[in-house]
Amino acid sequence: MGKRLKQKMYRSVKTTTLYIVITGVAMMLIFPMFFLFIFSLMSDYESYSEWPKPLLPSINTDFRMERLNDVSDEATYGLLIFNHSEDKYMPFGPESSSREKKSLRKLSNFIRNYSNCELGQEEILDLMNQVDQNTRVDFTLKKGLLNNYERFFKLYSGAFNSIIASLTTALFTILISLSIGGMAGYAFARYVFKGKNILKLSVLFVRMFPPVAIALPMVITLGKMGLYDKPAGLSLIYSINQISLSIWITASIFMGIPESLEEAAQIFGTTRVGAFFKITLPLAVPGLAACAMYSFIYSWNEVINALILTQFNPTLPVIVYRSLLGANAQVQLIAAGSVAQALPAIIFTLFIRKYILQMWGGVKV
Amino acid sequence: MAVLQLEDLAKRYDKKVWGVRRMDLEVKDKEFIVFLGPSGCGKTTCMRMIAGLEETTRGCITLDGLNITDLAPRDRNISMVFQNYAIWPHMTVFENIAFSLKLKGMAKDEIRKNVVDVAEMVKIEQLLDRFPGQMSGGQQQRVALARALAVKPKLFLMDEPLSNLDAKLRVVMRTELKAIHQKTQATSIFVTHDQSEAMSMADRIVIMRDGEIIQVGTPEDVYFRSADMFVAGFIGTPPTNFFKVKLKKERNQGALEHPDFKCPLQSDEFAMISKYGRKELVLGIRPEDFQLTKTGKGILNAKVLVVEPQGSHQVLAVEIDNKIVKTIISSDHKLSPGDPVSFDLDYRHLHFFDTESEKRIS
Repeated sequence: MGKRLKQKMYRSVKTTTLYIVITGVAMMLIFPMFFLFIFSLMSDYESYSEWPKPLLPSINTDFRMERLNDVSDEATYGLLIFNHSEDKYMPFGPESSSREKKSLRKLSNFIRNYSNCELGQEEILDLMNQVDQNTRVDFTLKKGLLNNYERFFKLYSGAFNSIIASLTTALFTILISLSIGGMAGYAFARYVFKGKNILKLSVLFVRMFPPVAIALPMVITLGKMGLYDKPAGLSLIYSINQISLSIWITASIFMGIPESLEEAAQIFGTTRVGAFFKITLPLAVPGLAACAMYSFIYSWNEVINALILTQFNPTLPVIVYRSLLGANAQVQLIAAGSVAQALPAIIFTLFIRKYILQMWGGVKV
Repeated sequence: MAVLQLEDLAKRYDKKVWGVRRMDLEVKDKEFIVFLGPSGCGKTTCMRMIAGLEETTRGCITLDGLNITDLAPRDRNISMVFQNYAIWPHMTVFENIAFSLKLKGMAKDEIRKNVVDVAEMVKIEQLLDRFPGQMSGGQQQRVALARALAVKPKLFLMDEPLSNLDAKLRVVMRTELKAIHQKTQATSIFVTHDQSEAMSMADRIVIMRDGEIIQVGTPEDVYFRSADMFVAGFIGTPPTNFFKVKLKKERNQGALEHPDFKCPLQSDEFAMISKYGRKELVLGIRPEDFQLTKTGKGILNAKVLVVEPQGSHQVLAVEIDNKIVKTIISSDHKLSPGDPVSFDLDYRHLHFFDTESEKRIS
């Protein structure tokens, strides 16, 4: 009986450990992304002055306005903000504000920039009137959750153009690597020729060069071709890497589609090329889409080559990288930029997720 | 009307391995021909050359007087059923069957009518809107059949179409295929390695080995007049039993002598073998030509090794001269391992072969 109990305990310990490990790995993968996302929704005040950081973004911010002096002819007011970690109201904004127009504008701008809330000058005047009667007024403002994103694209002027550059680059990369890699993959899957295995292995060698090491020659070559600082040129460089991967992926996709399907098409009325377009291609499309996803993600996220090979038309990762540098680096804006960059890749992956299985040769027939 | 002629057809891979060494064959109109042979004998290669999926190394294929050797598969006026069905998974059954008709530019109503016709013939008329993935293997096979029939080809090729089905379904489909052939009257070639399939369906069987034709003939021909020891061993289950024997002459009667038994010959057979001239030869006896007699009275005595009941009959394995000999006897006899048995022979169906060339003596 003791033995059985021991076995039972051993088994439950084993399962528990397994779950802990799985949870840990999941946390390691998910938590940084989640943290970045939360940061992208925070205001400047929250991200720099509150600790620990909240796990869920706050939607409202609590303010308090107080009368600072009792001199009635030149009344000044102080603004306080509720700090969640200190659990009390803390001074916020200019030391004191008056009813002057300049001071009102300053306060309104400060609230917008540092707490992501909107408070117009008229409303401030209104509040000041209330303070005159009650000496203090508490009020709650709705936080603009997406303000950081808006500001990221405003502040880093090339950000919007860089999205277009990134998309163009990704599109060209997919086109080049999928067409050339796909054709080579089809040849590897369908034909038997001398040196096939060595050739298939050797296409992977190009992936072994560190991109930085050959960056300078690439700059010169692209410059001669007139493609320096252009999405097309960048996508050519990305394709070097992606063609070899596409060859391997598409080869396994085409190997998973029985040759007899094409032969049957030939017998029943198509040419060899027609059989490919009518039968094989429609069957391979899901797998090819998953292959395109690889190219997209690589091209979308690549930063080292893009940094070297672009100047005035950078891609989005370069903009995010640049936003990390300089005096005006604000962590919540960088987070917003990073999330803005990660989002398309995540959405693309979710769409294509169910086709990934086919990539390894599992055509559902 | 379709007559297929193969002349000196050959296929060599990479200038080294022979797929088909030499094929000379004429398939008559409306005939059901079966290519039969062990795996690797070139029967499928030959069929693929006829279909145009494989280039020929040498030789000529003629269909109705038209040389089709170098034509593309779609111009040959043939259709084919593949071993793994090869129906297109991204099309419905209807689209699969209509594929070739659409490419021919047939009108929509006509396509519909044709598809329904063949679907009824193979009994899949309720499945037309389904996708192949939602169907069983047997149904997929029927779709492949319907697709091939819809073309109304001059020549109908079938590459081991039943080998992926389970044993019971295979026997059912065998009968249906034969019925369909009788209805459509299309000249057909059927490739198989299953001799019982070949025997039950063929008008003529082409037995192949190592890329060459060994024998062409009706099922009766290849069974009762096997061209050589290979055919005699390949056709029939259990296979023919072979004994090395010597020819002996006693008075006016001849006999074949084996260390364990002596088999008297009828006069015309004796005359035939005497004329042949050799003293040593191989005697082939089909399992069902052994006749159980009273113990000690037959010409061949042995002990039972294994009894394999089959219901309608039983297979009796006995040991003669250190070789296992299989015989078929009626189920009425109750025998168990170790029992002594005695056999007579049915002299009408004895086979005689040369010891070296293994060819039939006739």
